[in-house]
Amino acid sequence: MAQSSQILSARNTRTYRWLVAVCALALLPFAGTGEANVAQGWRIDEAHTWIGFKIDAVGFPKTRGHFNHYSGKVFIDFDRPAKSFTSFTVDSTSIDLGSQAFTDFVKSSPLLSAEKYPTLSFISTQVEKLDSRTARVTGNLTMLGVTKPIVLTVNVDTDPSAKGRAVAFVATGTIARSEFGMTFGVPLIDDALEITVKTRALTDE
Amino acid sequence: MNKGDVWPLSLRLVHWASAALVFAALGLGTYMVQLVHDPAERFELTQTHKSIGITVLALTVVRLCLRILTNAPKPEPAAPLVLLAAKVAHVFIYTLLLVMPLSGWLMATTTPVRVPTFVFGLVELPYPLSPDLTTYRIAHTIHAVSAIFLASLVVLHVAAAITHAFLWQDRTLARMWWRRSPAA
Repeated sequence: MAQSSQILSARNTRTYRWLVAVCALALLPFAGTGEANVAQGWRIDEAHTWIGFKIDAVGFPKTRGHFNHYSGKVFIDFDRPAKSFTSFTVDSTSIDLGSQAFTDFVKSSPLLSAEKYPTLSFISTQVEKLDSRTARVTGNLTMLGVTKPIVLTVNVDTDPSAKGRAVAFVATGTIARSEFGMTFGVPLIDDALEITVKTRALTDE
Repeated sequence: MNKGDVWPLSLRLVHWASAALVFAALGLGTYMVQLVHDPAERFELTQTHKSIGITVLALTVVRLCLRILTNAPKPEPAAPLVLLAAKVAHVFIYTLLLVMPLSGWLMATTTPVRVPTFVFGLVELPYPLSPDLTTYRIAHTIHAVSAIFLASLVVLHVAAAITHAFLWQDRTLARMWWRRSPAA
């Protein structure tokens, strides 16, 4: 009885290994889309990264702010631009509007609700090369727990001083914040929120 | 005690405190709306402006109670028309000292961009009404028009005080100042 059980167990182990091998082979063609694999070799230069926004309002100056804490990944494939991708996760509590009272207000519940939704994230789903210096990046933005596709226009600038190993990006896009449930102040405060992400990707390769 | 000669000390103190705060609120309100283009600075100054305004409202309520509870000194002798003009101007000033902060409070309450008001960062001001754009726009118009009226009346009031003190050399200003004022 004990012997048959051991045989069964050994068979199961073999079956399992075989299954893993098949699955791994089946997934191999898709490995290029997995961030963990392809992000290797590129890193975000935090000293040259700035994530900010602009919003206009009636009877109030245009408000500009930025986020101090974030993490990002980027992968660039110059030969096959569609294989490039990026993702950013922003700590919404790290918003900075240049005044404590103003920052606290924007962090609070009618706007960012930073305590309830401590992160904002963007994951690219499509990268299209428009010309030698411009790309269009489509991706999913998650804000206030709502995920919606957004489109960013990205200016790409290869830093000549870094011998092609550093690539600077300026991504801009406008979202309708009400689509994410941020309706506070509309229409006195514009629905249109302009996002800018300036960053630089470095590689040692 | 020279009763009726000068305004009661409480009213004199409230008068000068109100004067300082009204200058500050009018000046700050105009400055922050016309000249401040930095959003963070505008936000902070608006909080201060609202704090000053609410203090003016509280002082005006105290002041009106004091006016009822105390005796005003008899006016200095002047032409009936001057006395009437003074009366009308004072009634307008009192009215505007209520209308200005109340319309401001109404603006802060009914604006669709409702921002909590912490009076001098300490006490949160209650907002009794729901946001409503039409009411906000009416309140905003009242606030802006009243500001122009109040500023004009302040100029008139100061000009009248100077006229009384230096041209007519009566005790009108002295009664609101200290008893042994050089103008007395």
